[in-house]
Order: sequence, then structure tokens, then C-alpha cells
Amino acid sequence: MNALLRKEMRLSALLLTYLFLGFAVMTLLPGYPILCGVFFITLGIFQSFQSAREANDIVFSALLPVAKRDVVKGKYQFVLLIELCGFAIMAVLTIIRMTVLADAPVYRQNALMTANPFFLGMALLLFGLFNTIFLGGFFKTAYKLGKPFVTYIIVTFAVIGAAEALHHFPGLEALNAFGFDHFGLQLALLAAGALCFIALTVLSYKKACENFERIDL
Amino acid sequence: MNAAEVQNLCKTYPAFRLKEVSFSLEGGRITGFIGRNGAGKTTTIKAMLNLIHTDSGDITYFGLPLSGHEKEIKQRIGYSTGTVSWYPRKTIREIVDVTKTFYSGWDEEAYRKYMELFGLDETKKPIELSEGMKVKFNLMLALSHRAEILILDEPTSGLDPFSRDELLEVFRTLKEHGVTILFSTHITSDLERCADNIIYISRGEIRAACSKEEFLREHGKPEETLEEIFLRLEREARL
Repeated sequence: MNALLRKEMRLSALLLTYLFLGFAVMTLLPGYPILCGVFFITLGIFQSFQSAREANDIVFSALLPVAKRDVVKGKYQFVLLIELCGFAIMAVLTIIRMTVLADAPVYRQNALMTANPFFLGMALLLFGLFNTIFLGGFFKTAYKLGKPFVTYIIVTFAVIGAAEALHHFPGLEALNAFGFDHFGLQLALLAAGALCFIALTVLSYKKACENFERIDL
Repeated sequence: MNAAEVQNLCKTYPAFRLKEVSFSLEGGRITGFIGRNGAGKTTTIKAMLNLIHTDSGDITYFGLPLSGHEKEIKQRIGYSTGTVSWYPRKTIREIVDVTKTFYSGWDEEAYRKYMELFGLDETKKPIELSEGMKVKFNLMLALSHRAEILILDEPTSGLDPFSRDELLEVFRTLKEHGVTILFSTHITSDLERCADNIIYISRGEIRAACSKEEFLREHGKPEETLEEIFLRLEREARL
């Protein structure tokens, strides 16, 4: 682990951020919009950013023997670590729902989205949106958190609403496949989500580095 | 040899402008950076640490431009700013344990020495420290990694007379070991006691950057103290 990530984990992060990873377990909730688990994980990350701002964390980091843009790198590394831990828990629980719990009536009689690779792809898309809208937005000033987070909330709930509604449209039923039904399509959707996550994160990281170089601390 | 050089630094804010600031820091010497509140001391220091984005200008340390060599230069310099509180609810031990992993030259012996000298307790949190103790904590971080140049923004503000005296003594000892020190202050007696060189800034412009003796010769009148000289110069600049 590099020094910057260690600093993020030990000095900048709140315990709450790690505890909020527990919301990944929402993947198992029947009759609940399970993508909300992603939102709660990112809410935990937001809490750490809020606390770090009050602790003068950004200036402290910029004074360490690192290049100024490495401060951005440290934050992105930490956020990615939390997101990927959350995603890993969701993926394991999704596999459980797709295999041993595939025929459980509580999941079969569920009007909302089921846990399948499409769900995981959408989760990655939401994490990517968080990285673009919130993280990218934060690094325009390195202190304003409210506006990027509120924008992220609006967008993320619009996407969750759309994802929940899609499989009710004629012809899109395969999005809500159970077990290993439509597995090829499901994997393709997961891959598309992963590509969106990578593209959104990389583009926002590059922009955040450029913005951060220009701002006055 | 110059340990650091600042050339033609410009920075414009809506209500303030840093105008073509240029000076150099002589190696192994103590330079006092003086000016009234809002004269541009902190802006200049922030620019020297790449904390602000300047409109133009060049900053070099050890002959290397800051731009492109930030990481290696920061390993060799130390910075402390007055009473800013880092991670107010973490213990000093937690902050130090993380900070030292960034410095290849972290000196545990020096760290213990300054902890004792400044009367700091590792189990305390910055939020529990008085303003003066916060200054000492920040100084301790700057002094514990064998920095060759120390850039200290108002290091004596908020310190009691005994602590100030101890700190100025630390400066003199560090100087004997070849460390270059730039410290900003508005307390002229600090300059009288330990500065070799003086940089005087007023309204964003460098008015003087020379040795203390030269400054007294060029700008002082017979029998005038440093404080009287600065007060007169500021009054003249306002006219």
C-alpha cells in the first residue's frame, strides 16, 4: 500500500465510511430497490470528505513530499478502494442470489430489480457517476462539497428509478433475468457497466488533476 | 550559494496583487521575511510551496525548478504555518506515524528531541492544544525530517517569550548545521535577534532583500531601531 492511500485510510477517512460498506448487504433485501446500497456506500465516502475538509486534509496532503496532483490520486485511490470493496460484497451476494437462492419465492415474486449481472453493471455505472459528479466536482474547488453531492443524488436516483423501471417495458424483460437465464446478455450488460465505470473514473480523474493544479489552497 | 530563488512572482487576486516578487535565500543563513498583515508574506510562501497557482514567475530550490521536481524538493524542505490545526481529533502519534512514512529522511531522534523541547505529548490531539502548542506541533513536524530549508510562516506568533527564545535558539543551532531558514514575522525583535538577512515586503512588492546590516545602512537613520525603520517606511509608503 502506498503512503498516500495509507494516509487517506488512517487520517482522512471516518470509521463511518467503512461501516457504510455494510449497506452492500442490501443486495439481499427482497422488495427493495437494491441499487440504493450503492448510494449509501457513496454517502459513507461523502462523510469522510466532509470530515477531511474540516481537518484541513487537502492542504496537509499538498504540503507532504508529493506532487500536487498526487493529492487527487490519493483521494481517487481511497474512493476506488471503498467502491470496489462494496462492489465485491455485492457481487458475492448476487452470486448467492443467482445460485442457492435462485428459486426463493421472496425474490421470484419481486416487482423490483433482481440481483443479477445487469444489477452489478448498474452498480458500477452509479459508482462511476459518483466519481464524475461528486469527486470531479469537489476538485474544482477542493472545498465545496454540497453542490456536487446534491447533483449526484439527483442523477443517481434518476438512474436507479430508470434501472428499476426498464424491465417492465415490453421486450426488456431479460434485464431482470433470474439465475443464469440470458447469461450472455447479462454478462454483456455487466461489461458495459464496467466500461462506463472505467471511462467515467479515468476522465474525471484527469479533469480533477487539471483543475486541482489551477486552484489556490 | 543560493538555496532557493524566487523570480518575478506575480499573483493577482481581486483585491490584492503580488508584483514581480524576486529574492533569493542564501544557504545556511536565517532570513526574516517581514511585512505588515496583508502585505503578501503568506501569498509568497504559499507560492513557494506550490499551494497557489501563480500568474507568472519561477521558483527554484537547490538549483532545481519547483515545477517538475516538487516531490524531491519537498523531501528536502520543511514548512510550518502558525496555528493551523491538522486533523484536530487525531492524536499527535497517529498524525506523526502517517507523516513520517512520506519522508526518507525522517529523524526519529530529532522528533523525540523536539517533542521534549516543546513539551508535546503524543497522546494529545490538536484540538486539545493551545494556540502556542499548535505552533510548536507544526514546527516539530517541519523539524523532524532533516530539512535543508525551513520555510516558516509566523512561527513565533502566539508563543510565550520563553518559547520564542527557545525557538530562536533552535534556529541558531540549525543554522550552525547548515540549515537555511526563511521565517515570516511581524515581530521585529525576532529579526534583531537572529536574522542574517531581511526581506521586506509592502503592498505586494519587495522593498528590500539584503543582509540585516545593509538594510540598516540603506534604510535606517542614525539611532533608529529596526521597528522604527519599518514603521517609518510603512508610513512613507502610505503617503
